[in-house]
Amino acid sequence: MARGDLFETIEYLKREGESLLARFARTNRDVVYADLRFEVVFNRSAAAVNGEPRDSSESESAAYTTSVHVAGKGGALGHGQTGAEIGALARRPSNLVAELKRGLTEAYDRARFSAREKADLINHLGSAARGLAMPPMVPREPVRDDVEAIFQRDPRSLSTNDLKKLSLDASRDVATLGASIAYQVVAAMAELRHELFIDTAGSVISQAFAFSQGDCYVVAQDGDGHQESYDTIGQQRGFECLSDGSRSELMPNPNLSTFCVGLASEASDLAAAPVLKPPDNEVVVVTDPHFNALVAHEVIGHPCEADRALKMEAAYAGRSWFLRSIADNQIGKAVGAPILSACSDPTLDGYGQYRYDHEGTRGRRVMHIDRGVFSGFLNSRATAAALGAEPNGSARASEGWHVPLIRMSNTFFMPGETPPAQIIAEVEHGYYVCGHQTPSIAESRENFRISARRVFEIEHGQIGRLFRSGSVIADSKSFFTNVDAVGDDLRLIAIPNCGKGQPMQVKRMSNGGPTLRSRARLAGG
Amino acid sequence: MLKSDELKKFVRDAAREIARDKDVASFEIYAATSENRIARINYTSDIPCRGLEEFKSIHADGFQVRIAMSRDPHEVGTAFEARDLSRESLRDAIERARSAAIVDPHFPGFPEDPKKLARASSDRSDLARVSDRVIASAAWAVLNGALAAFRRSDVFRNDQPGLIIGGDVSVIRDRIAVFNSNFSDIRTDQSAYFNASATSIIESLDAKGTAVAIGAAAASMRDASSVLGRDAVRRALALAHGVRPASGKFRIVLGPQPIAEILNYMVMGSLTSGAFHAASSAYHARFGEQVMDARLSLADDPMHAAGAMRRRITCEGIPARRVELIRDGKLIGLLSNFYDTHRLLTDEHRAEKLGPAAGASPNFPPLSGYRLGEGGGRRFDAHPGSAGTNVVMRARRGVSDRELVRAVGDGIYIGRIWYTYPINGQRAGDFTCTVTGDSYVIRGGEIAVPLAPNCLRINANIAQVFEKPIAVGARPHPATVWGSPEAYYVPAIAADDIDLAEVAATS
Repeated sequence: MARGDLFETIEYLKREGESLLARFARTNRDVVYADLRFEVVFNRSAAAVNGEPRDSSESESAAYTTSVHVAGKGGALGHGQTGAEIGALARRPSNLVAELKRGLTEAYDRARFSAREKADLINHLGSAARGLAMPPMVPREPVRDDVEAIFQRDPRSLSTNDLKKLSLDASRDVATLGASIAYQVVAAMAELRHELFIDTAGSVISQAFAFSQGDCYVVAQDGDGHQESYDTIGQQRGFECLSDGSRSELMPNPNLSTFCVGLASEASDLAAAPVLKPPDNEVVVVTDPHFNALVAHEVIGHPCEADRALKMEAAYAGRSWFLRSIADNQIGKAVGAPILSACSDPTLDGYGQYRYDHEGTRGRRVMHIDRGVFSGFLNSRATAAALGAEPNGSARASEGWHVPLIRMSNTFFMPGETPPAQIIAEVEHGYYVCGHQTPSIAESRENFRISARRVFEIEHGQIGRLFRSGSVIADSKSFFTNVDAVGDDLRLIAIPNCGKGQPMQVKRMSNGGPTLRSRARLAGG
Repeated sequence: MLKSDELKKFVRDAAREIARDKDVASFEIYAATSENRIARINYTSDIPCRGLEEFKSIHADGFQVRIAMSRDPHEVGTAFEARDLSRESLRDAIERARSAAIVDPHFPGFPEDPKKLARASSDRSDLARVSDRVIASAAWAVLNGALAAFRRSDVFRNDQPGLIIGGDVSVIRDRIAVFNSNFSDIRTDQSAYFNASATSIIESLDAKGTAVAIGAAAASMRDASSVLGRDAVRRALALAHGVRPASGKFRIVLGPQPIAEILNYMVMGSLTSGAFHAASSAYHARFGEQVMDARLSLADDPMHAAGAMRRRITCEGIPARRVELIRDGKLIGLLSNFYDTHRLLTDEHRAEKLGPAAGASPNFPPLSGYRLGEGGGRRFDAHPGSAGTNVVMRARRGVSDRELVRAVGDGIYIGRIWYTYPINGQRAGDFTCTVTGDSYVIRGGEIAVPLAPNCLRINANIAQVFEKPIAVGARPHPATVWGSPEAYYVPAIAADDIDLAEVAATS
């Protein structure tokens, strides 16, 4: 293997990895399952601050995770994992194989020790430890597949100057807006990611992804008024979606410069706008697709993750208002208005698109709310077993060295048939809430406060005054139940930084929805 | 993990190699090895579970090279490489740094040769050598303690008690070696600490209790693991069937965890030179002014005697030492790295951003330039940012926790909050969060009845907490914040007129 192309390592492991894993399972006692994930990433990025160059980098990295399950004394299952970045060391097959063997052995030792400790605890505490009876993962047929990345311009073929120029030009364009922009950062990134999954059940799956992302952060001020805004555009495409924009049906974006200037102009207007003085009572709110992306993310997507619902994240990211217990939960019950539906769909062309998850399960659409009725969770093979459900391919890690967690893909409210202009025109008095900013969610996601970039007053069906620092506060079920109009304007928004897990994993995905109308309290600054 | 000597040798050899490149005017080589071993606990009495959900580790070794070019001292490029410390790999990285170079007119070069290093050694922690089994055993001990405590309770006999035990025992360790062309020698450092937490939720009682520990010694980790699970369960049992107050304005005590969380998400980010340069600090134009109550002082101390973090040098090779941020309520210092210090001091709008009380010649020593990964640990591929280590808040004329409760009279003791974010941007200082557990109603100056978890949302501003507290606690307590690289040592604080909004029950 020639030094210089780390991506060739994937091809090598496609040939050799399966037998390596099989040998390991054969020669180590009590192994019931093992898998190996390997990933190579090429990343190029650049950033500009206040119209001047600030940063640029290019990197190529490789990482792996091994996962081993053993059945110990009395059938107690033990699980162990190891993840590591190995970088250019992976270019030499002997080094790579030695490293993977080390990782498998370490994961095996951890699994064995865990199985022994678990058996001892069950023995010692008897029925007090009755919960320690996790069923084995739901079996599935072996899969062999190759998935290509989609792009016009391979991220590796770019000149470093392409990204530097793009971010610098956009930042300079923002700078032309004048002194009201106190500070601004524009960043651009292009990435090619190639993943390989191999397990002892006979699966070998290779998937490649191209990501391009542009980010803008702006601080605007006007007298005593100030506004911080940030936003992202991103596609699973090449650099062309930043330089030329994207006409994607669900997630179109302008080119990076237009996007940044638009965000900065808006921030400038907001700095001059008054802070929202919220009314005391619940009001009619019309929420736009960008705002609803964060509602879908925080109040639908996260509580639909089965690990959270099954209390596995209780110490960190909380539980789920959709599941009190296996017997007492919202499945089949109304949690919203009959015109409201929501789902996750990794097959759609969004920032959260993929074909297989990191357990080798094919991703598919999962309905969460079907015409107001709660209908299902995102799951992994282990949580599917606990719930008595079919695995739906939602276990994904953010990097090659992390273990998979249950994650959203493209998670959104589904569109209705009403034009957004009509939804606003029907409001006698209310507020039009546009663009998400910052969320704060209750522990089981049963209540939320989400701030908006812009809040407009609606009077007699007309959009009126602009306010800044406005938030929507609501109990989740009440907000969904009060939805009385759903727009026909579904949009997906790239979410670049969803944090979950211990240690924290930061994942890219899409969220979205159409315009919605409901009732909620507002908060100001 | 790589040994310090291996890192040092690589950095020495790399420096010699780069020094031969005529087009490179100055450079920096930073090598780091880090490891995070995590035994994550998940026990659910009514749902099948694994107990020790996973025992995993992540390892990251590598180096970063930054070069400034001869043709323009402001032309600087960065590249990094994982694991492979060969000469070939170094040459690749140098080429990539050349290719990535940009002309940053504000690039200040690299730090000058640091003066004498602080005396405290960072090499003492035996956690640097602790085995997988010790960590896994600690996690199982947490679970064992929790289940044993639960078995002694009446609710254990319920068919569906709804017991949840979550948390983890984690050991984070790192080593670095750093050199730049202004230095006379290679600087090395290493640290190791543990972070352990247990959360106990008893759903049939609608109760939640927590316990945390953080430290720098294996014995502390063992001691903590023997009591954390038990303590979390006992606290949850004591919080059974809490009340759900209606919305209103309340007098409250914020315990150490809420104070740590508010500092972490709302204050520390504002106490950086970068935030002042970006005009995004909550203390914009108030440097040198009174920004907290005169009883409160805040510092970051990488040498704090009781601190879990021990840092001898920053990731830029500068001797680490205590940074006073707020003294007697007055803002007097900022966390900073080398670039951000220079950038703020040369900012043409500096006077406006710092404010009139800053004086003509403010100084922000770059004592907090760390290259950290998610949740802490030094990473080879991170850029220098400004971060704290052991964040210590002290109070003059502080009172006991009991007197704090008495000072509130009628109100709420809030022991744990969650999802605390600057809802209207950092500069506005507005925050919101929900009260998730470990909390009580206060009546007549006494703890009266438990508060149900997740029944109240706080909507407030940092000024309400830190500028005019009713009373401040005398003793700092250790506290951690999920995902934060800092360890906090903070007192409880009592505040007035805090807006608490009712959250609907889910069942």
